[in-house]
Amino acid sequence: MSTMAPPAPTPTSASSRPTGRAPIARLAWMLARPGAASPATVALPIVAFAVTTALLLIVLGGVLMFWQRTDENAPAFQMLSLLAIALLIVPLATLGGAAARLSARRRDDRLATLRLLGATTGTVTLVTVVESTALAFLGAIAGVVLYLVSMPLVGLIPFGGGPIGPTAIWTGPLAILGVVVGVALLAAVSSVVGLRAVVVSPLGVRLKQRAPHTSWVRLLVGAIIVAVAYATLSSLGVITDVAILVGALVGAFAASVAVLGLVGPFALSIFAKVRLRRAKTAEQLISARGILESPKAAWRLVGGVAMTSFVAVVAGTGTALLESFSAHSTSEALFIADIRTGVLITLVASFVMVACSVGVGQAAAVLDRRDLYVSLDRVGMPVSTMDTARVRSVMLPLLFVAIGSALLGALLVFPLAGLTLIMAPLSLLVIAICFVLGLALVRLSLLATRPILTNVLAHPERSLG
Amino acid sequence: MNTPLLHASSLVLRYGSTTALAGVDLVIQEGESVAIMGASGSGKTSLLHCLSGILRPDGGFVRFAGPTGTVDLSTLSDGERSRLRREAFGFVFQQGLLVPELTAVENAALPLLLSGYPRADAEARAAAWLAALGLRGLEARRIGELSGGQAQRVAIARAQVGGATLIFADEPTGALDSATSVDVMDALLRSTTGQGHTLVVVTHDEKVAARCSRIVRLTDGQVVSDSAGAASSRSTVPAPGAFAGPAAASTTTTAIAHVPTTDGPAFGGAGWESGR
Repeated sequence: MSTMAPPAPTPTSASSRPTGRAPIARLAWMLARPGAASPATVALPIVAFAVTTALLLIVLGGVLMFWQRTDENAPAFQMLSLLAIALLIVPLATLGGAAARLSARRRDDRLATLRLLGATTGTVTLVTVVESTALAFLGAIAGVVLYLVSMPLVGLIPFGGGPIGPTAIWTGPLAILGVVVGVALLAAVSSVVGLRAVVVSPLGVRLKQRAPHTSWVRLLVGAIIVAVAYATLSSLGVITDVAILVGALVGAFAASVAVLGLVGPFALSIFAKVRLRRAKTAEQLISARGILESPKAAWRLVGGVAMTSFVAVVAGTGTALLESFSAHSTSEALFIADIRTGVLITLVASFVMVACSVGVGQAAAVLDRRDLYVSLDRVGMPVSTMDTARVRSVMLPLLFVAIGSALLGALLVFPLAGLTLIMAPLSLLVIAICFVLGLALVRLSLLATRPILTNVLAHPERSLG
Repeated sequence: MNTPLLHASSLVLRYGSTTALAGVDLVIQEGESVAIMGASGSGKTSLLHCLSGILRPDGGFVRFAGPTGTVDLSTLSDGERSRLRREAFGFVFQQGLLVPELTAVENAALPLLLSGYPRADAEARAAAWLAALGLRGLEARRIGELSGGQAQRVAIARAQVGGATLIFADEPTGALDSATSVDVMDALLRSTTGQGHTLVVVTHDEKVAARCSRIVRLTDGQVVSDSAGAASSRSTVPAPGAFAGPAAASTTTTAIAHVPTTDGPAFGGAGWESGR
């Protein structure tokens, strides 16, 4: 008899009495501990936050390096470093956003379950925030290590006639602490923002009902911003204060980036529509539809390259030409060469950030679509088709954006570009090599996520059962 | 007696130390609708996966009498089995598992595209299938814009658009309400056995099983009963040829290369080896 009875509640034991409060820390640990989730669920956000932190510190270190200079060219380089920041802020924010979204999205399902089981909105929110922040903090610490390890490598970059040295981009402990706290805060905030969907509708988080549309309004807003920026720039001659001048320049740059952000998705959606119409194979069809599914997301991923490509061509051509004219004045030539190095570094940095975002995003996408990939495998779709579709949906927008902006830049400085081709063909070759390198880097990061796909297909029991 | 369409003998399948299939023998004739039933963990999905060449059994064999002769599935390479699944078999899963960014007609056309058909022809054939399954007008909808039952019909179209005459379904109504289940099962039976094709369906739903011509029950990886279903009298299943939908549209698709339109009541007969 007694063995059949349910365990009687023991009112005398204070520890087992429900307190009415959810144990946030314990819930967070239950959901995050290894074994509760697939290792990738926890590892991916950590890696993403680590890479974000490392790149952020490297860029910050590079900018601080210029601000510590005291030579005659220092003001010029300081201004240029601000421009570089304006260029890199978008791809860097994308990477950070991808990391944050990743850590929030990976737990949507289980949090929705938690909510269905009766957890309050407050509990769900707290569990997520605690979890995301903890993962981000771990990632940021790993990122600091990555930054320290990469310092000697970055130190090989030549500036002012020689390598900058292994400690040149050291930001100091205070900045490192600031970045780590900042990354953790970013994760906390975005997990709250990203969670609203789960809290509002526990059942509907995964459904994407309608494909978003991009409208002509974007073009109009873009045109207005361009007009304002142009007016600002044309009145620069009247401004004598350097600080205001720099502010106006940076502002104009930021405005151009904003315009690209508005027009870019629209251009990408038109590009994808053309691709869709011409698609002949399954992989062409899926990749075109994939871009059309969210031109904004596609742009977010590759848009960072647009501005840097444009600048690399314009500034690269200009500096190459100037350099060939001022061959006899060594200090002037050095100054110009340094500017070109900075431009190319910025270009490559933007490609590195895109490559990291792509790696993180694709790893998450493959895991999210685990069931779909397994079913397509069962239906008889070759792995190569799935992989090609995935690769194309990233590489096509990237190529479109990089080559499109580069051509636009070349068109703008067309007479100059022609002259440079004759005067300094080698420097143009260097720019071209940087482009190829950057594109290859992104392709490589896609290649790195292929084992995740083949692994998913090799262990189908984890998905469909 | 004719060569059976599918002949499985002494199938054994193990996952580590657990035995999923412990010597299963099963013979399936053309035109049958076979329900495989059993509790969770009885091995019914494992059996379906072995019969369809998704998994290679640890023991025994599966012979499939294809259009070009009988093949032993376990002797085929991964690539060959992949191609067999693509071109000779059709699959319907529990949750459609369609590509979410593609439209209904593009999803249904996917197997044809994979086999190298021109896109326009592939989509025309897919559209004919969708229309036959009651989805006319929804061709351009994305999967997220379809109901569960509609998405499942798209999956049924995808399973058969390539001319497969043997369809495997794994809990095809498992995620649907009972009224929609009846509709989807209707569509599935009409489009398969309704035109002389063969259906193998894994289910835990007695109502679904009762509509099949035969019910095979598994317990602990062994067949414990093999009986005629209520539908064996053909009272609830339309006679072969009753499903005229895609065939009616075949005038628009007669020009498709490689597809013998004379073979079978609808598009059937595009064998997995003659397909190229």
